[in-house]
This record gives sequence, C-alpha cells and structure tokens, in this order.
Amino acid sequence: MLLCDFHIHTKYSDGSVELRKVIDIFGQAGFDVIAITDHVVNGDSMIGKFAYQFGLTITEKNFNEYIEHVKYEAERAWNKYEMLVIPGVEISKNYVSSEKSAHILILDIKEFIPPCESYEFIFLEAKKQNALVIACHPHQMKGEIRNTLYLWNNRDKYGKYIDAWEIANRDDVFSVISLMKYPYIANSDFHKPSHLYSWKTLLNCDKNIESVKKCIKLNKGVAITLFRG
Amino acid sequence: MILWLLIGLISMSLMVYALQIMALRKKIRENYTAIELPPVSIIKPLKGIDDNLFDNLESFCRQDYPKYELILSLQHKDDPAYRVAEKIRNKYPNIVKIVVDNSHKALNPKVKNMIQAYEISSYDYFLISDSNVFVEPDYLRKTVAAMSKDTGLVTNLIMGVGGKSLGAKLENLQLNSFIILSVCFLDKFLRMPCSIGKSMLMRKKDFEEIGGFNSVKDVLAEDYIIGKLMHEKGKKVVLCSHVIKNVNEYWSIKRFFNRHTRWAKIRWKIAGLKYFTEPLGNPVFISSFLPLLDGFSRISIIGVLTVMSLKVMFDLYVSRIIKSEIGLSSILIPFKDLLTAFMWFIPLFNCKINWRDNLYTIGRNTIIMPYEKGKSIRLIFNKLKAAFAS
Repeated sequence: MLLCDFHIHTKYSDGSVELRKVIDIFGQAGFDVIAITDHVVNGDSMIGKFAYQFGLTITEKNFNEYIEHVKYEAERAWNKYEMLVIPGVEISKNYVSSEKSAHILILDIKEFIPPCESYEFIFLEAKKQNALVIACHPHQMKGEIRNTLYLWNNRDKYGKYIDAWEIANRDDVFSVISLMKYPYIANSDFHKPSHLYSWKTLLNCDKNIESVKKCIKLNKGVAITLFRG
Repeated sequence: MILWLLIGLISMSLMVYALQIMALRKKIRENYTAIELPPVSIIKPLKGIDDNLFDNLESFCRQDYPKYELILSLQHKDDPAYRVAEKIRNKYPNIVKIVVDNSHKALNPKVKNMIQAYEISSYDYFLISDSNVFVEPDYLRKTVAAMSKDTGLVTNLIMGVGGKSLGAKLENLQLNSFIILSVCFLDKFLRMPCSIGKSMLMRKKDFEEIGGFNSVKDVLAEDYIIGKLMHEKGKKVVLCSHVIKNVNEYWSIKRFFNRHTRWAKIRWKIAGLKYFTEPLGNPVFISSFLPLLDGFSRISIIGVLTVMSLKVMFDLYVSRIIKSEIGLSSILIPFKDLLTAFMWFIPLFNCKINWRDNLYTIGRNTIIMPYEKGKSIRLIFNKLKAAFAS
C-alpha cells in the first residue's frame, strides 16, 4: 500500500515551511505519494483580499512559476526518495459565513483556474484538465470558528463533480462521509512540521499519477491510517 | 561573606568551563592510523520517525570502507520507520538487511530491538548506532582506526545539528556545550570511561565476555554499563575524536525537557553524590543567585550579564572548534542554561522515566522497572502497615 498525503501547504501560501524542505520532510519519513496544494484564494471577499494583501495565496501571475517549482522538486523527490509528487492547488472560497465557504483540492492541475468563478466553472475546468477534484474539510471541524460547509450542504447539486471527499483532515474525522458511502481520502492539511503526524491515505495501486487518480476515483483499494511518528 | 563565596563559586565555575573547553581542544586534535580495516556489522535499532531519518540511514550506506553490513532492526512491521528502512534496502540491497523481531525479553526497548540483529550479524566487529545519527563517509574508517588490541569499546563525540524549532535549537545548544564538554572532561582529565550509545564499536568476543546484551537488558543506560563492564574487564574505552552528527530539526520544548530530565536522572543514579558537583559547570545558573543575595542592584545585574556574555562567548568558541553553526541561536544560551539548571533538580524528587512512549521507574545503576501508578504510595502504606503490625 502506498502511504499518501494529498493536502500540503508550503510558503507559497500560508504554510510555514519552504517547498524544498516540505518535500524532504515527507521523503525522509518514507512517504510514497504527496500532493502540494497551496491556496488559490478568491479575491472577491474581505478575507480573500486579506490573503492577497499578505501574499498568502497563489495568483495567476505566479501560478506557472509555482507549478514549475513543484515539478522540479518532484523530479528530485523521485530520484532521491522514489516519492511521487503531484502538483495541485486548494481553491479557497472564503467568506465570513461557514455556510458560504468551501475549499476544493485540484490534483494534477495544469493551468490556472480563477477562484472567483462559479463552482460549476471550476469543476468543469478541472475536468477539462483531467485533474482530480476533492472536497476538503467538508464538515464541522473541532476548534474551528470558520468551517467550509458549502459543498456538503449542496452535495446533491455538486456531488457529481466531486471525485472524493476528505473523510479525515489532520486530527478530525468526518463520519458523515462514510455514512453517505462517498469516495474518500484522508489528509494532513500540512502547514507546519508537527502536522506530519495526522490522518493519511493508503492506496493499493501503482506509483504513477494516472494510477493514483484512478484509484481515488474508483475508490477501490483505499484505506486511511492515523500516522504517528 | 556569602556574596564573596558566591563570587568565588562563579569564578570557579568559569574556570571549570574553560578546563572543559581545553579538554575538548585536546580531544579533537587526536589522530589515529588504521592498521587493519576488518569487516564490520552496523546494528541500527529503529523506532518511529526521527528527523532526517532517510538521510541518516543513507549516510551509513555511503561509507568509504571495504567491507561492512548495515542491519536495520525493528520490533514491528507497522512501525513507521519500516517504510524508510525498506526504501533504503531497495536502494542499497548489497549492504542493508532488515530484521523485524519482538520475541526477546528485555525492559530496555533499544536492547530488545538489537538482540536478533546481533544474532544474525556476520562479522566479529560490530557497531551499535542510533537512528538519529548522520555520519560522514570517513566515519567508519576513523572509528575503526581508534580500536587498538587492548581496546574493548570505541565511542564517538556527538554534536547537535539542524535545529529549526525552538526545542531543537535548545537541544543542539545543550549537546554542543554541556554534553560534549562534560564527556571530554571526564575522558581527558578524570580518565573515566565514557561511552555514548549513539555510536559504540566493539568486538563480539569482548562483548560476550562481559555478558552481552543479557547484562544490560534491564538497565536504562546500557551504553554506560557496557563501558563500565569493559573497563572493569581491563579493556580500554576509547572516545574517538571523530564527531558524529545528531540531527534534531523539529523538536518541541517538551521533548527537549523530556530527554534532558531523563539524562539527568541517569546521571543522578550513576554518579550519586558526585551529581551535586554538576552545577559547577553552569556559571549562568550560579550567577543567577547574585541578585537574590545582593538585591537587584546595578552591580549584581552587571555581574549576571557579564557571566552570561562570557558563557555565550565560550559556547561560540566551542561551536567553532566542532565546526557547528550556532548563529542567532546563541541568544538562547542563557535561557537554556537556566532551564537545564531547573531540570537538574528534578531527579532528586522524581524517578519516573518516559522513553519512547514507555514508562519506567529508574533505580540504582539505572536499573528499570515498568512504572505502576501509585506504586510508591502503596509501598509506603505497606511499610507503615508492617511497622504497626510488628
């Protein structure tokens, strides 16, 4: 089984660790597959504007540089640790109300997707790029003032676009996902080194991007594990 | 009068510290020439993910040495370190072996982890090495070179590197000052056998003569006991001048606190009354009594600041000798010294040890027993009951 984490932030957005060091932290710990998913924040809200002001988001301007950097590090990770690194983003639609907010992981993204567009546009654009769409932390999280509940509350409308749901995020587990029998993965939502020790995904598939995406989509040979050092 | 006594103590403490630095300088200059390079089995017990684990293990696969094997030993396949061990074995299949075994009985988890690896090891020379150690390619060659005919054990100096979090920075400052200096001082001036578990090279014949792992399976400081038994057998315990790196990047303060209270408890149980001389190596702590005795006067504050500055300069000099980079972390030195002074008191009141999620009670010569909650209260109660009954 491949030990995987598909939700990782670096200093490109609000993570506290440089991309290269993040790769090394996961490589040194024996991971097989990771995805780098820095925030792409909507700029049409007060919270979004704040993220742009303080450089806590990938923008259309630095998106290509970001992807190139991730690809460069992916090659190094493969050569050194035999670890597969998938470029991705976390499209973050942030509003004051938890009911209006949603975060979406786009794995294996190729081109910039504007976060202010509608959900349908974002999902279809991701599909066009043959990227994987994951709804992250879709339910109430312990200790969070602001949650991201929009996709869960509108699952009947958007469920068809979503390839998998985060059933566990860092230390939280969302049992509603398993009750609904939705496809699932578990991630750390890594922002700092201590987040390494959290929920992870185990995949029973080959170690290449297409196999990984297929395994998540079909949701066969998927398990979750609580990774403790 | 007391004030003058304190000033005398501070001066003495600074002198002791200077002597320790002298011991380190002498030690670092030592050189050895290898007469032969026998094959070596390196035994590496693994448990959990250490900072830099992959690179640490790989550094042992890149030794400039003619013939050796690396045995990675774990107790369970579901240990997170197993994946890293497998990756290393796949990369260096001719050097690396993995042993998973939990069948042997030993209270010391590290010893328990190594027994099977020792049994399957191929060569007469074997080296015990911790998983959090990174070495340069000439490490094995230089360490073996320090092994003469009458030597029973070769151990290495350690320095902390890579500190990124506050806890890791404190850890590395402590390793690169108090720990490395005390070890050199004991070795050079007091001629005491000093063995460090992070790297211990021995011959199987000598090791079995002192009882092998059986003699250390239920003690916490297996490294110290092995060194002591070798010394008692008339074999030399050599502290090799080659410095190995202990990589500590993302430690929490809690972890730093846990390790150094554990080590303090070991020193208390080994040294007994000599433990009370230890604060002499901490001038910052002794100088902190100045304002208490003299009030927070200008002179006492200047006194404390002077001692702190001197201590920082001393530690910067030590870092130059061992080629470590302290940088801005040096401002933490006084804080670290006061924190470790506080930790020094803990063993006097508490003998509970938490080591890699195992809880023990530590006794004389670091003999360990599984910790039971309320055991000490029960013991007192039983003694009182017995006293009344008699």
